[in-house]
Amino acid sequence: MSLLEGRRVLLVEDESLVAMLAEDMLLDLGCEVVVAMRLDKAVDHVRTGKFDLAVLDVNLGDARSYPVADLLLERCTPFLFATGYGTQGLEEAYRSAPVLQKPYQAAPLAHLLTQLLTCEAPMWGRADEKAAACACHRPKGEPSGAEPFQADPVR
Amino acid sequence: MPHTRQPLQSVPAANTPLVSLRPGAGQLFETERRLNAVLNNASVSIFLMDDRQHCIYMNRAAEQLTGWTLNEVLERDCPLHDIVHHTYPDGRPFPLAECAIDRAFPENNQERGEEVFVHKDGHFYPVGFTASPIRDDAANIIGTIIEVRDISEEKAAAERQRLLINELNHRVKNTLATVQSIAAQTFRGQTDQAARAVFDARMAALSTAHNVLVEDNWESASLRSVVERALAPHLLAEVDVNRFVLNGPDARLHPKVAVTLAMALHELMTNAAKYGALSVPEGRVAVTWSLQALDDGREQLDLAWEERGGPPVTPPTRRGFGSRLIERQLPMEFDGNAAITYAPNGVVCRLEIPLTQLGWVGQETLEGHPAR
Repeated sequence: MSLLEGRRVLLVEDESLVAMLAEDMLLDLGCEVVVAMRLDKAVDHVRTGKFDLAVLDVNLGDARSYPVADLLLERCTPFLFATGYGTQGLEEAYRSAPVLQKPYQAAPLAHLLTQLLTCEAPMWGRADEKAAACACHRPKGEPSGAEPFQADPVR
Repeated sequence: MPHTRQPLQSVPAANTPLVSLRPGAGQLFETERRLNAVLNNASVSIFLMDDRQHCIYMNRAAEQLTGWTLNEVLERDCPLHDIVHHTYPDGRPFPLAECAIDRAFPENNQERGEEVFVHKDGHFYPVGFTASPIRDDAANIIGTIIEVRDISEEKAAAERQRLLINELNHRVKNTLATVQSIAAQTFRGQTDQAARAVFDARMAALSTAHNVLVEDNWESASLRSVVERALAPHLLAEVDVNRFVLNGPDARLHPKVAVTLAMALHELMTNAAKYGALSVPEGRVAVTWSLQALDDGREQLDLAWEERGGPPVTPPTRRGFGSRLIERQLPMEFDGNAAITYAPNGVVCRLEIPLTQLGWVGQETLEGHPAR
């Protein structure tokens, strides 16, 4: 069984047709998908829900998905950025996050998400910074109540 | 001639300081020094013209712009037009009588326009000008003050923008055509032709929606155009007025709204042609819309698609691409509402889409910032 089976994934993607495609791919991978197409809705989801993974389209209309990335980081939820522009499409401070090159393709999506869960992909921050005990260190199914660290939402 | 009408002087003597302005003359000298400091450090070119269109003063920026010094201009003792504006860019002589700037005194303050001047070295450069009359105490116009800016950079930027938009239009259309071709090659003989036809029609609908955006440089799209194009049977045809009744005001749509709405209408039309009112000769579709003011100052598009005269409607057993796009994605994308009702006497679809020209609800306050 795939490591991604049954994982709860937040998909943030602002184009209807593209969101349908990415959602179908995640569903085919066995994920439980929550779609947000607007920055405010995505932020609400992260604040109120629990996710194992997140896929963030960088450009959301005239906004960027960075506030969602910040919140996910505070919650130690692993995520990747999806952009048609590669790493160059990201603001400097976010370039260490994994990037999925658009258009969405199932195999790279599954590969990167699996890497995020097994912590093979660089999660965040500088190389010398040891990642805190984060969601991806927990074996699947373990209750999340035992989190050693939960930052207070800043905003 | 009224006593107050004193023509501004245009002889070289005008450039020599008056006795009272010499150093030591106190207040006037100080005032002149300040004015010169302002005028000669201004980056905009300033020309003071008398009632004969002769230039009697120009600041340093004007000297740099035209290539002429004030003294040279004064010595020519002719209208400024004949010095800086004497030839059209195509080489024809440009008589003073045809000149918008110099022909007459501006009627009002700050009349604006664009012209192409000739530099002393012979090259042409585009300028934007603002002309205002100078009046004497009795309000007679005795001269003109003209501000001039070199707008070469702006013109070049606008030209680059135009080329980029042309390239963008070309690329988008080409990419869509390429995708269509790849699909055709890939699925040749492997997919049933009905599925291929549905795919091609959706690609065409997407392409048509982009045509509407191209017309307005991707800034916005006309609601009426989006509806009309989506409902026309193909690119070269008009909406069939025997089939469709369109009723609603025009509005400007954000490009994202335009594309999704066009796709939604395409799906409704495809469904109507296959199972609904457009599947029989006597069937009709009314597309009616209005704009409602929302409490937060935005407008909301309320659009209804109503089929009449088709065969009795049975709700579909399976919800496909069209209803997923309309009922699920569209409300999520625009924070609106959408419902398709399979009423026995005709399908009805109601859309409520809050319109934002730029930006999105709730996103103005959420700015991306790097993590600390």
